[in-house]
Formats: sequence, structure tokens, C-alpha cells
Amino acid sequence: MRRLLVAVAAAALALTACGSGETGGDGKVTITFWDNNGGPARTPIYEELIKRFETANPDIHVEYVGIPSASVQQKYDTAIAGGETPDVGGVTTSYLAHLVGQEALAPVDDRINGGPLKDRLLPSLVETVRQTAPDGKLYIVPSSANMDIIWYRTDWFKDAGIEPPKTWDEFVTAATKLTDTAANKYGYTIRGGAGSVFQLITEAYAYSGVDNFYKGGQSTLNDKANAELVDKVADLYKKATPEADVNNSFTQMIAQFTGGSVAMMHHNLGSYSDVTKALGDKVAAIPLPVGPSGKRTIVPNPTDGFAVFKNSEHPDAAWKFAEFLTSAESNSYWNEKVGQIPANTDVRSAAWIDKAAHVKMALDVLEDPATVLVPAPVYLPQYSSITKTDSEPQYQKVLLGELSGQQFLDEMAKKLTEAQKEWEERK
Amino acid sequence: MTETLTRPPVNTPPPPRRPTKRRRRAVAEEPGKRWLIHVPLVVYLLFTLIPFYWMLVFAVRPTGSTQLVPWPMTLEHFDTVWNDIGFGIFFYNSVIIGLGVLVFVTILSTMGGYALARFKFRGQRVFLLALLCTQFIPGAMMLIPLFVIFKGAGLLNSLTGLVIAEVAFQLPLALILMSGFVRNISYELEEAAMVDGCSRMRAFFAVTLPQLKPALVAVGSFAFIGAWNQFLFALMFASRQDKFTLPVGLSYALGEFNTDFGALAAGGVVAAVPVVLVFAVVQRFLVQGLSAGAVKG
Repeated sequence: MRRLLVAVAAAALALTACGSGETGGDGKVTITFWDNNGGPARTPIYEELIKRFETANPDIHVEYVGIPSASVQQKYDTAIAGGETPDVGGVTTSYLAHLVGQEALAPVDDRINGGPLKDRLLPSLVETVRQTAPDGKLYIVPSSANMDIIWYRTDWFKDAGIEPPKTWDEFVTAATKLTDTAANKYGYTIRGGAGSVFQLITEAYAYSGVDNFYKGGQSTLNDKANAELVDKVADLYKKATPEADVNNSFTQMIAQFTGGSVAMMHHNLGSYSDVTKALGDKVAAIPLPVGPSGKRTIVPNPTDGFAVFKNSEHPDAAWKFAEFLTSAESNSYWNEKVGQIPANTDVRSAAWIDKAAHVKMALDVLEDPATVLVPAPVYLPQYSSITKTDSEPQYQKVLLGELSGQQFLDEMAKKLTEAQKEWEERK
Repeated sequence: MTETLTRPPVNTPPPPRRPTKRRRRAVAEEPGKRWLIHVPLVVYLLFTLIPFYWMLVFAVRPTGSTQLVPWPMTLEHFDTVWNDIGFGIFFYNSVIIGLGVLVFVTILSTMGGYALARFKFRGQRVFLLALLCTQFIPGAMMLIPLFVIFKGAGLLNSLTGLVIAEVAFQLPLALILMSGFVRNISYELEEAAMVDGCSRMRAFFAVTLPQLKPALVAVGSFAFIGAWNQFLFALMFASRQDKFTLPVGLSYALGEFNTDFGALAAGGVVAAVPVVLVFAVVQRFLVQGLSAGAVKG
């Protein structure tokens, strides 16, 4: 209150109120850490880890700043433009290329290879991170992976006497069977609004078994089998799903599922805490159903990791913290709480993984030698505008029966092919 | 200064009386036609209140519940909001910024509005036009230039900086509003006071300012709400957890993969309550004096 009075009284004279005081007087180094998904679910985890880090490194103080996930990219952009970047920041591969393009990050290859994390990180995640940067360097140390899965109601399946589906045909049968529109019960919920197309792409490749996003420079997205899947999903709309699904972002989808009106929902491991909080042990996860080919192909989710910013005044302390966050103990703690796939391979043997069925399932799928990863080209500058701004409204047309799956994918594949060509030329 | 003083034209038509008054009373007095007023009012009220009810329901019912009547009630979401998200400090920051903006915008716009209404000066029309034009520029576009300026001035990570940014953005509209209000107050009253020996300053404080009360409330509450809802600058110009504001705190409930509707609603209640209370107190000033004509005849 006093500050207000001062401000009011001194009016414009009070312009130079508190600066940001970065250095402690006792030789203690202060580094800032930005959490890219701040909020009640993650903040306490980092607070605990920071406490542990500061106990082990009494000469380093970590200042935590939680950034709301929806604004994190804008916050990074503003900070980079204004030269006020943090020392360490949570960064996912979905906007990593963008930050690398602005030359804001320091590569961490040498630091990883010169320390305890060498050969301790899941190769598939390291590869995903490498592919995101044009120069193939690691600009984040991967810490956690997410995976698209189907959450389903174990109690509904048990009551109806059906097994959780393994193939897409079984999936359609189950969704239809569990639908009872009169009782406001639906077998499935489609994400038709914001974020719809990424999920659709993962479904399409899981079904078609096409094992590369590009073949000979051409996007494989409009493969016949992919289009077949799109039409199959559109067929379920309104028959086995709520009509409002055409506008669903993940929030509505999760609200429907946790509200108890839906039997199956395609989302990712990230909704673990929401679905278990609401449904307890009446919910479990299965991988996305495969198609007639029987092959399992996965379009990986963005990989989470920690970046050290180039402008950091204390790069060694910053790396020390990033390395600490990715160490077996911290990585295990973090991923256990969040329910995601740990990047540190030493965590594989942790006791909690056997109990966390959804993480074990995801790890099994990732580690299965028969599984093929088909990374989406998130590194393309136009990737987001093509798959979101341009394509999401078109997908709604598909759901409403105004556009065929093949036409829809042809359009998107053409743009992705062109964007890839441009990117190759500039590389 | 006095050369520039011009009297507004004397034959300005007085503000139109409200001819609807008599007719309205007539409708209300006919018992059969009362529904003509009440039905639309009730519909409108439902329209505005249902979202509030919805927010309250989400705020007090347990996660996963779909009941329309929130019973049994739970305060767990308020606990999340206050203790896990740390709304206390955000609330404090928002109050400080809101009050700071309110005070500065009201004072500056009263001074400026008076000048715009009562004096004629070179470039007045251009100035007014420029004020209007500033309203066309979205804050997001100015973000990076402002960031750099604020950095140079040492105003990042400070509430003072946010107050300044917000005052600068709100002042143009407040000035336009205020000059309109001042213009509606008869200059004759001030003249009469000056004839009796008041200085211009004294005439303003003794005669004009009391009549501006509804205007002060309108402009002040506008400024307060604008600052209260400030998200973009608050998030961009502060990089310290203890300098964020309520809207930033609210957005914590929207995670990348999960949305805590309970916390979001509880946070919404916490954020809305002060505004509702403030309005409950000041709303009578908003209408008071609207009909109080000063110069009769």
C-alpha cells in the first residue's frame, strides 16, 4: 500500500522505482528459469527441484518464472527482441526452430557429451530435437516426451463386454456400440476445433502405416490410406460422437470425457492428471489403433526440453541447472508427477513406471523395434499456419460432409511439399 | 492565456429533455402492459447472470461433477487458486495497478478534458484526431518498441512501469470522454462564479468539478477495469513471478494439455468480486446528476 501512496504522491517523479537487481552481494550467482507451462500442475514440481538444486549448489540461486503456456512463444519473442532472455528456459520442439532461427539459444551438444548425460538420453528424442534445427545441433537437452494415445473408460468397456480396440475397425465397432444418444452417451469424441489437424495426422499415419512424412520430396500425407482414415473418422461424427465436436478444442474434449458422457478420447499423456483426477481407476490408455497393414507408425509429439540462452551471463551455472533437471533423479521425479515419458534412460528401471500403466504402455510402444517414428515437419516455418490456420477450418468441412478426406489432404500435402522444398533450398 | 479563451456559442441548444419519461410512466401504470417492460428485463437479466452462475457452479463443485446445483460445495478450487497459483500477490499487484491507473487517468483526463472543452488552441482538431487515431493501434504491435523503451528506462519488472504503460494507453479515450462531459456543463455557471470573484481555478473546483462527479466515476471505473484486465503488458514487461497480475494468474489454469476449470472459475470469482463490489458502490453516481439540468429556461 505504501508503494501506491508514494506513486500517487510523487506522481511522475517515481519513474525509477525498483530495477531488477540481478546480482547478490555475497558472490551468489542468480539465474532465471522460465517454465514454459507454468501453473498449479507444474509449478510445485519445479519449486521442489529448485530447492534440491540450491541445496546441492549453495552458490547458485534459481529464480523461477512460470509463463502461461498459451503465451510462451510471444514471451520468448519479446524477450529475444528486447535482449532480456532468461538463462534457462523450458522449450518444446514445436517452437524450437523458431528460437534457433533468431539465434537465441546456445547449442548443448558438447556439454551433453562432456558430462554424465552422455548416452543417457532416449535416442528417438535426441533425434527429434536434432531434426528440428537446420544445422542438426542440439539446442535443447530433451527431458520428456509425450505421446498421442486413446484414453478409454474401463468400466464402460467391461459393462458392454468388449475388449479395448487394437485396430481401427475394432475401434469403430466399439465406438458405435457404446453410443446411446438418448442417454447422452457417446462412444468417441472428435477434436474438430483448435489443434484438430495434428491429432488427425497422428491417427492417419497410425492407420496407414506409411513410414515417412516425405517420399522423394513429396508429402505422403495425401496417401490413399490416410484419406481413407479421414473419411472413417468423419463417418463417426454425430453417429458415435456429440454434435458439438466440430468445434472441440482439447479443453471441451476433456470436459466431455471427464464429465462422463464419452467412452473414448484421443488426446495425449499430458491429460493424465485431469482424467485420473476426475475418473480415478475407471480410465486407462491404449495406443492409437493400427490399420489393415498391422504396422505401428507413430507421429511423435513435440519433445520437451531445456535450453540455455545465448545471452546468459552465467552459462555454466545455467547448464548446471539444465543438467540437474535432466539427471536421472530429477527427470524421474518430474515425469512421475506429470505422467510423461522420461528422456533419461536410467529412469526406465524406476519403480513408478511399472505402476504408471499409461507411461509403461507408451514406453513399450516407443521401445518396440517394430515401431516406426514418422516425425512431422515442425521445423518448417509455415508448418503451424498450414496445419492450423489453413487446415483446421477445412477439416470442419470434412466433418460436416462438405469436403472429402482425399481433397482435404491433397490440399494440405501440396502446401507441405512446397514448404519443404523452400526449406531444403534455404538450408 | 486569456486571449485564447472563447465563450462557447450562447445559442447552443440545451441537451434534449427526455420525452420518453412520460410515456414510460404511462406504460408502467397500465397494469396489463407491465410485462412489456418486465419480460425483456428478465430475459436480459438471465442473459447476463447465467454466465456468472456458471462460473460460481464451476468454482464450488468438485472436479468431475456435472451437477447443476453445486451441492455439496467445496472450496478446494479456491485453495488451488490462492495457495498453489499464489493469487495473493497477483491480487495485490492488480489492485495497485488498478488504483494507480484510476488516479492518474482521472486526474490527467480531467485537466486535459477541461482544456479541450474550454479553450481553443492551434491544432486542436488535429490533436483530437490524433487522440482518436491512437485507439486504432493494437497494444501487441507496440509491444517490442515499448519493451525496449521500458528496458532503457529501468521500468521492466516494476508496477510503476505497468501503471505508466496502461495510463498512456487509456488516456486518449478518457480525454475524449472527459472533454465531452465538460462541454455539457454550462460555461455560464463558471462565468457566474467568476463574476462573483472566483479565479478560474476556484470556479472549476467550486462549480464544475462537483457536476463532473458522474463523469469522474465513469472515466475512473473504465480506467480501473481496463487496468484490472490487463494481461499482455503485465506478462511481457514483467519477468518475475511476484510482479504478475490477476489475468496472468488466471491463465495459469489453462495448461498446455490440461485445463483446470475449477481453478479457472474460482480465479474468475476472485477477480470479479472486487469489480462487482466497486460497481455496486459507484453505480448510483453513474446515473446521478444525469437529469440535473443547471441552466433553466
